[in-house]
Amino acid sequence: MKMTKIYEGSHQWIMFGRDANKPASIIDSNQYVVRTANRCLLMDPGGSELFAPMMAAVLHHAPVEQITDLFASHQDPDVISSLGLWDQALTNAKLHAPAIWEGFLRHFGCESIEYVPIPDHGGSIKLDSLELQLIPAHYLHSSGNFHVYDPQAKILMSGDVGAALEAPDAPVFVDNFDAHIDKMRYFHQRWMPSNQAKRAWIERVRKLDIEILAPQHGRMFKGDDVKRFLDWFDALQVGIAV
Amino acid sequence: MNNQTKSQFVAVASITSELSAVMVVAKEISLAAANAKAIAFRAGDKAKGFQPITDFINELAKETIELVTDINVYALLLYRLTVNEYRRTSAYNRFEQAAKLAENAAYGATMQGPVDTAKARMQDCQRQFKRDVTHLLSQLEAVMHHARAARVIAANSRIEASQAGEYLQSLQAVAESVDKAAHTIHDNVQRCRVALSIYRSN
Repeated sequence: MKMTKIYEGSHQWIMFGRDANKPASIIDSNQYVVRTANRCLLMDPGGSELFAPMMAAVLHHAPVEQITDLFASHQDPDVISSLGLWDQALTNAKLHAPAIWEGFLRHFGCESIEYVPIPDHGGSIKLDSLELQLIPAHYLHSSGNFHVYDPQAKILMSGDVGAALEAPDAPVFVDNFDAHIDKMRYFHQRWMPSNQAKRAWIERVRKLDIEILAPQHGRMFKGDDVKRFLDWFDALQVGIAV
Repeated sequence: MNNQTKSQFVAVASITSELSAVMVVAKEISLAAANAKAIAFRAGDKAKGFQPITDFINELAKETIELVTDINVYALLLYRLTVNEYRRTSAYNRFEQAAKLAENAAYGATMQGPVDTAKARMQDCQRQFKRDVTHLLSQLEAVMHHARAARVIAANSRIEASQAGEYLQSLQAVAESVDKAAHTIHDNVQRCRVALSIYRSN
């Protein structure tokens, strides 16, 4: 599991992904961790196949008892089917996830972890003195969907928005935006169902000061590429399967 | 999921299936008893020996239905325990894998607690499963006992039927149906016992 520190300040952001040992038949995914002095938040911690390498990777940065918070942007198996395993490993943790998916996500096993339902209008996660904002991203692509914004680090963890399907050894940042478009066009056209939802999200996100846009698959966008991505996505027609 | 776990799931699920067939047959016995009672009443003195037998058949059918109902509830609990054991075992294996991968990690040693807890929980589940299987097998043995009793009653019914004059054929048919039902119950329950016996505690 490759680990890349993407922010270092009073707290840290670490991106995990590009696992060379994962089964070839499952999609590659990016997991993100925010580490504060005493707590650790895992965002979209991944499928059950990824649990062991992900846990081992996190242990380079925090002890088990300080993994206190999980976040699931939506209900997909590549996002959170490992929940039943985290549930048995963590003794004092909360899962922040869309309220409408609670009854569904509990199928993965959620007995000791406290489910903190995120209302449709969003909310926040407090880690020590850090406050992260939960930005609504409904229908992008899931009907109950949130992204995580860190105003201090200026990072938006954007779930499936900005995702691309590419080789597992691909670089972690976009280095040529125009060349990257081909890798993400079909994903957004096919997986994102609503132009209306897309426009509402773009309008909301353009108001945020974003240095890094961090999707769950593919590469992250940095600096000017964030605006390039928003402009490109704004112009894209989505929901092509109907 | 390994082959042993799959077999365990199949064994537990098959109990419910076999027992639902037993339940149908037990209800048939109950119906046969009611039928026999009506015939014996019409036959009067000619079927005097048959009358107490019909009550006995009915009682046996009722007890079998009650037993099977209890076993079905227990089988459902056993199924949930099997799911739980699968989850615990899977967690233990993944935790061990994580601990191994984290050998050189700064906080790798903190994984030992979850590994130990997962192992203890898995072993608890395995022990509980064996205990529950043993209990279930004894309940199934009770149903077998009822099936054997029903066959004895069927044999007695044939003897009594032979003295019932023109009612002989009707009462013999009742005896046959009780005997056949007892056979079916015996065979189905025996299949449950064979499927479960490898998991019993020693």
